[in-house]
Amino acid sequence: MDPLLQAFGLVFDPFVLAVIGLSAIFGMFVGAMPGLTATMATALLVPVTFFMPPVPALGAIVTATTMAIFAGDIPGAMLRMPGTPASAAYADESYAMTQKGQLNLCMGVNLVFSVGGGLIGVAVLIAFAPMLAEVAINFSSYEYFWLACLGLTCAVFMSNADPVKGFLSLFFGLLLATVGIDPAAGFPRFTFDDVNLMGGVNFIATMIGMFAVSELMRGAVTVDATTKVVTQAVGNLFRGLGGVFRRYWVNFLRGSFIGTAIGALPGAGADIAAWISYAVSKRFSKQPEKFGTGEVEGIVDATSANNSALGSAWIPALVFGIPGDSITAIVIGVLYMKGMNPGPTVFQENPQLIYSVFLIFILANLIMLPLGYAAIKSARQILRVPRNLLLPVILLFCLVGSFAMTNSLYGVVLMLAMGILGWIMEEHGIPIAPLILGLVLGEMLEQTFVQSMIKADGAFLDFFSRPIAGTLGVLTLMIWLVMLARGFRRSPVPNAA
Amino acid sequence: MRLNDALLGAILLGFAGWIWWLTSFFPAFPGQDYGPNLFPRILATGIGLCALVLVLRGVRSRAPLLVVEGWVMQPARLISFLLIPLAAVAYILVSDPLGFIPTAFLLLLGLFLWFKARPVVALPVAAGMTLLVHWFFAGLMRVPLPRGILDSVL
Repeated sequence: MDPLLQAFGLVFDPFVLAVIGLSAIFGMFVGAMPGLTATMATALLVPVTFFMPPVPALGAIVTATTMAIFAGDIPGAMLRMPGTPASAAYADESYAMTQKGQLNLCMGVNLVFSVGGGLIGVAVLIAFAPMLAEVAINFSSYEYFWLACLGLTCAVFMSNADPVKGFLSLFFGLLLATVGIDPAAGFPRFTFDDVNLMGGVNFIATMIGMFAVSELMRGAVTVDATTKVVTQAVGNLFRGLGGVFRRYWVNFLRGSFIGTAIGALPGAGADIAAWISYAVSKRFSKQPEKFGTGEVEGIVDATSANNSALGSAWIPALVFGIPGDSITAIVIGVLYMKGMNPGPTVFQENPQLIYSVFLIFILANLIMLPLGYAAIKSARQILRVPRNLLLPVILLFCLVGSFAMTNSLYGVVLMLAMGILGWIMEEHGIPIAPLILGLVLGEMLEQTFVQSMIKADGAFLDFFSRPIAGTLGVLTLMIWLVMLARGFRRSPVPNAA
Repeated sequence: MRLNDALLGAILLGFAGWIWWLTSFFPAFPGQDYGPNLFPRILATGIGLCALVLVLRGVRSRAPLLVVEGWVMQPARLISFLLIPLAAVAYILVSDPLGFIPTAFLLLLGLFLWFKARPVVALPVAAGMTLLVHWFFAGLMRVPLPRGILDSVL
């Protein structure tokens, strides 16, 4: 049977549609609650989808994240508190619009341009992923080694943190990935004779700890802070949108394509896409002095960008098994758990699965229009959910979720340890994303490295012997040099905050 | 709470050394130059180098050894903060003998009340959420949540 038809059959199944609907509502809620991020939504979803077949499991993640990245705009405009980090770039601008009495227009722009940007990101994913997969089918361990290096370097380079701390986080993640039975020699490393550690560090429990528990610890400190109340009512969202589109269609396309490009880069996701496209918008605007005073121009760029980054982040994840952001890092973990190792062969062996992901992406962006409309209309109620009840309930989800990943208390212990570690890292300005990417890619990096070393018999130049491998290798080395040069120029910083 | 870069770097240097020392017990295979200790050693070296940069920077910056934010000094907020990891520890210790339902209910209720929820709200929400989570994970997903003292009932 034609794989595309098969995919339609897989997606338009009542159970799958129900899962998509529920995850959409879940994603809207998590995104709209300040302090709960899209990554956290994904990490909490994984235990729930653990026992599902691949299509509903992936569908839940795709839908929830798409909704969450849009819904983050709602409290940004209403309360000046971004719902997710991806909306932080333009929360001030949105709030300024609200204060000028333009809440309707602001929300309408956020909703419609999020959908548009999301669809452009998906279109690029659909167009490029299968093409890249055909090229990638011929890759050897050299290419994969350099790709992994490049991906990990990008993760450090793109995280706005100090590169030394970024690399520290990365090395730590790679080291965590070496815990367990060594893939080449079968020797147990860093297991301290513990049976649980023999199987390695459970990835989802780590994610729940790093992205949810550490966030809860931070949130618990301010739980009693008085929550602001939304005062403005929302009217007609779609009035004036035509004019905005006619004036700023270039911004919409530019934002979407910048977002798509950044999303496809390993390690950089929706939040960085929003920051950069907002900055680009200001740089090329005819009236940059109006930015920050409640102008819609920058919002068009940034809100299109963060949603378009979501789809394209799946390109490196599906084709190479290299995550485009921390959400797709979880997706890769899920794919491995389902026994479908991401890589170019998935496109040949399970094309119906890839098409299903594409379909769900399109579907998720389309149902965002009515659901987002409903979320905006009911924002006052959503934002009134008391945090003193929400925090403990999320903690319970974390406990049960990490327990379910290992069916033992080992998951809970790991989650707690990683939560505390994540909190300490953030306190010291050490970014978490490189660690997560390191943990996901560690095994692949080590395997391809050792394989390549054995093949090359220690001659490092062989790593550059194939054309694509050579290009990737030179590119990686160049980025390392740039980072080193930057580091030296920055080194006499008295207090690197 | 934030350690000075020099102190953080020193701790990490020690950590890198410890990793290197652990790898020295990994077996070598004759005729195979690239054994299980190669990759961890590269990583330990990387961590060590980063740590060294941090030490040098920290010494030069002369920042205080430990910076503590204001909330640490407020007992109520400090307890709120500590309650999150402590609740997890409590779950690890008592969920097995006590069972999931009583543990989860008590944890939720305790946290709700500490975070100043009204008992009229806290009690039903704690009970409802506990049963909902139990129904979903133990019933639908067949996760073996501990039954504990309710073993005969469930």
